[in-house]
Amino acid sequence: MNIFRFEFLKLSRKSRGWLGPILVFVLIMIAYPLTVEVSNLELGQSFFSVLWIATLLVMMLATEDIFLEDYNDGSLEQLSISDGNLSFVIAVKIFIYWMLIGIPISIIGFLFCIGITNSSQNSIYVLPIILVASYIFINVFSFGNALSLTKGSVLGTLVTLPLLLPLLIVLGKVIVAINFGLNYFGFLLLLLGILSIIIFIVPMIISYIIRAHLE
Amino acid sequence: MNQIVKAKNLSYKINEKKLFQNISFDLNKGEAIHIQGENGSGKTTLLRIICGLTKPSKGDLDISTDAKITFLGHKNALKQYLTIEDNLSLLNLIHHPNLDQFLQKFGLDGCLDLNLASLSFGQQKKIALLRIFLNDSNLLIMDEPCVGLDNQTQNYLSNFINDELKLGKSVLFSSHIDLDINSDKLNLS
Amino acid sequence: MIKKFIHQFASPKTYMFQVNRAYPYIFYFSVIIYSLSVFWGLFLTPEDFVQGNSYRIIYLHVPASFISQSLYLAMAIASAVYLIWKVKLSVYLVRSIAPIGAITTFIALISGSIWGIPTWGTWWVWDARIVSTLILFIMYLGLISLHDSFNNFEKADKFLSILVIVGSVNIPIIKMSVEWWSTLHQPASITLSEKPAIDLVMLYPLFGSIIGFAGIVTCLVILSSKFQIFRREKNKSWVNDYV
Repeated sequence: MNIFRFEFLKLSRKSRGWLGPILVFVLIMIAYPLTVEVSNLELGQSFFSVLWIATLLVMMLATEDIFLEDYNDGSLEQLSISDGNLSFVIAVKIFIYWMLIGIPISIIGFLFCIGITNSSQNSIYVLPIILVASYIFINVFSFGNALSLTKGSVLGTLVTLPLLLPLLIVLGKVIVAINFGLNYFGFLLLLLGILSIIIFIVPMIISYIIRAHLE
Repeated sequence: MNQIVKAKNLSYKINEKKLFQNISFDLNKGEAIHIQGENGSGKTTLLRIICGLTKPSKGDLDISTDAKITFLGHKNALKQYLTIEDNLSLLNLIHHPNLDQFLQKFGLDGCLDLNLASLSFGQQKKIALLRIFLNDSNLLIMDEPCVGLDNQTQNYLSNFINDELKLGKSVLFSSHIDLDINSDKLNLS
Repeated sequence: MIKKFIHQFASPKTYMFQVNRAYPYIFYFSVIIYSLSVFWGLFLTPEDFVQGNSYRIIYLHVPASFISQSLYLAMAIASAVYLIWKVKLSVYLVRSIAPIGAITTFIALISGSIWGIPTWGTWWVWDARIVSTLILFIMYLGLISLHDSFNNFEKADKFLSILVIVGSVNIPIIKMSVEWWSTLHQPASITLSEKPAIDLVMLYPLFGSIIGFAGIVTCLVILSSKFQIFRREKNKSWVNDYV
């Protein structure tokens, strides 16, 4: 339980770490309608693409130094020496990031979705999708940033983006499914399936990578 | 089991470039080893190998199974944006019965809710040293513990270590300054 | 025992010796096969009923796209061998395949674009197969830049092989996700399970061109791996003797 408390303490006291990404997300959501001079109806049609891309970019921004700070100040080497389970700590860290950034973003995105598409029916469907998708995004970006730990986030992005493009394709299909009333739960199950694998494997891979970085 | 660390013919190389070769030593309970050497001779690497962070390129390293390591490296594992109190709770030291005594000794008792960033380098080092002073382990590993410390604290540290040695703990440290610790010398060249 | 066998067999020195012996045979064989098939394909086969002469670029396009994916598979296997048995040679191979893979993927993309202009009237569409090839291309670039960003070769090797393996999980996912897209791209002309959707007259030279292209790419990989081995083992005595 202590680990949850510590990770929460570390992230919540660093307001630019979690508030910054959320504000960027809000900014995108507000700025996007300003740049499109069309009727509200057409605005709703391309809204979802903007929503997915904004989620992707904000998660990228949020995880930029998820391990870098702990690496630079030596916390990671202390963790690695102590008997604690490194991959569990990493899983907790990723979870806290999702809790403080992913969940607020999902709710804000959901609210904007109601506002812009004027359809609370469809927006309810979007909420679980964006919750799951943001968790997957955080996991995959954490993997990329662990690989390029000391080498900057450009490399991390280059390495991770190919892994995420298929997911964006799936998210695009989800919107089609929602709009035409097709099999929506199949996609949700697929995303949940991907998440449930990732949630165990990614922390293990990351802890291996971090041990190699500390060498 | 009297022996804590047994190192035999340790060698380390990076990209085929040799750092040190054939280092052997034994460390028993109640003993200290002072690792000496020029800059870049691999002192830090040797300490990290003993911590298990780095693997030696060659050689055998036996660390007794009941060894519990406290490591103080160059990086002090403290968060600049947190208060001293939060930092101590991250280190799991905030409820330690002897904490107040040490804080008083270092003149830090009144400012637990200050941000760490507002302390000087030496004061931050003292907070990091609390990990050594309040340790619950039997193998203390310190990498240049005296950097940034005033004479008074250096003396206090060496006295403290000598007391710990009498309690049967083992100590490995590297330092450029000659500390007044009853230790064997190990020269990396 | 397996470990010992692999280490003995897969020493860079033995590899270099064997490869040097085989290289000229592979090279001349594949160049001859490829030029014969291309000649056959370009001049001895009839025009396509729908696409006219433009379809003849398949003798470059199909081998390139096929090989670009196969190379990734080869990298994934070599990475697994490196992570499990710590065979240095296999990670040298991974690193040397990466740029060749990027080149073949690039050829596949470009030749596809050129083919697209007469056939679809556009050189680029956001189509399933094209996007998955593009993703593959980005992955190759990512692998190369990841490996080159570390000064410590051992770290770089570890990270490279992890990324290759994680990326290989991505390949079936790409396939799956893009299958759902509506696509302009024709389905694969040759599959293992079904009867080819292409006339036999065109099929034989196509097979020949794939084999020839694979041989040429193998030669490139061999050259590239020799470069990597020299770069990594330049302090070893056998390399000095060799040079």
